[in-house]
Amino acid sequence: MKKTDFLVELEDILQREEPCREEDALEDYEEWDSLSKMAVMAYYDKNFNVKISLQDFQEIKTVNDLITLAGDKIE
Amino acid sequence: MQSSFKHVKITGISTAIPKKEINIYDEAQYYGNSIKKIDRMRKMVGFYKRRVVEEGTTASDLGICAAKHLLNGMNINLREIDALVYVVQKPDYEAPATAFYIHNKLGLPDTVPAFDINMGCAGFVYGMWTVSQMIESKTCKRILLICADTPTLDVDLADRNVAPIFGDGGSAILAEYSKDEIFSFYNIETKSSGYYAIIDPAKGHRLNLQIRNTKDFNLILKYKDKKLQTPDGRETTFFHPYLNGIEVFDFTISVVPQNIKKLLDYANLKDTDIEALCLHQANKQIIQAIGNAAGFPEDKVPYHAFENFGNNTMCSIPTTICSILKEKTEKSCVKILGSGFGNGLTCASCILTLDNIYNSGIVDYQLSEKTMSKEEYIEYWIKKIKGE
Repeated sequence: MKKTDFLVELEDILQREEPCREEDALEDYEEWDSLSKMAVMAYYDKNFNVKISLQDFQEIKTVNDLITLAGDKIE
Repeated sequence: MQSSFKHVKITGISTAIPKKEINIYDEAQYYGNSIKKIDRMRKMVGFYKRRVVEEGTTASDLGICAAKHLLNGMNINLREIDALVYVVQKPDYEAPATAFYIHNKLGLPDTVPAFDINMGCAGFVYGMWTVSQMIESKTCKRILLICADTPTLDVDLADRNVAPIFGDGGSAILAEYSKDEIFSFYNIETKSSGYYAIIDPAKGHRLNLQIRNTKDFNLILKYKDKKLQTPDGRETTFFHPYLNGIEVFDFTISVVPQNIKKLLDYANLKDTDIEALCLHQANKQIIQAIGNAAGFPEDKVPYHAFENFGNNTMCSIPTTICSILKEKTEKSCVKILGSGFGNGLTCASCILTLDNIYNSGIVDYQLSEKTMSKEEYIEYWIKKIKGE
């Protein structure tokens, strides 16, 4: 998946009305709550076959961190 | 643990749901009056309508209501029942077992044993597994299984990640011995390392708060209104049930789909043999994630019961059977795969054959006019204690 496509997908996963940018800090998003984290876990599992652990969420600070977690699944 | 039975069939089912309905769009004050925020919750987790009890109603009231509809609808003589099993996590009293109260209210004969099973969202499957062993061993021919819960009585309405999830309900199931072979399969797992992930830390005898003890009473006063901020920004108190949503979600998507797949392998069946994957109605997000990971098409994984009645814990699989599967189970023979998962943490799945069963559908429960207020209840017991 292309990075630009993922950013649009992320907007939908978080049910966010503003566009998502790579450098955005997730903590700044009003929508970055436990529901969004679960939605991200489910999306990664379904689409990238990547299991995000609870530990991972401690490390994820930015949208870019999320992209890195997908490995080569996001180009 | 995997197990199977070949002479146990469900012959009837009924579910009683409180009449009082709450629609999340009527709770806009909790979302800063933003319909967009509510729309987001509806889309992400399926929050919509839920049915809740009014004060004074217990889980057993709902269970008794369902049992009466079931027994009357099937024209069952109480003398034909060999045992009563009640699955509950909010008993009417700490002692005796609520099954005795139900036994009395239904008028079951003295020859009928009755007991409780303390279980949460996996309770329906654990209940069926238990009664199946009693029937397959020929100890009993016909067992009345009741599952009921009132989770809404314990949640804080202002906690928007928890309150809109739950609903209340009571289900009654008649399980019988079948001379003809009719297979059922079970796969039950326990991940007790997560026992604390869904828990009521303030209740029970670990802390043993005694209201009549001044020290304890002062502790209650000290902490009852102390607001606590959770890492995900929710506000709660020590006296509310603790739910670590992300940890539970992690458990459900890593354990439940595998549990379901292993059960299908054990039963030598494929997803195409299953009419519906009746998952515990935790919320839409969880249901869809499990259904997808277990390899089932979306249209076979209903979340209708969650959107219309809320997550009524161990009644949620029966609620699905009594709502969208009512006609199919009444007029044909279908295999369903039910999977309950929750506090424990545990995951219990089963494959059941529902062959032209009696299905009362969803029955509305209304609060009886005879229901006592809390003070009337205390006064009633004071008179009883004084022998008046």
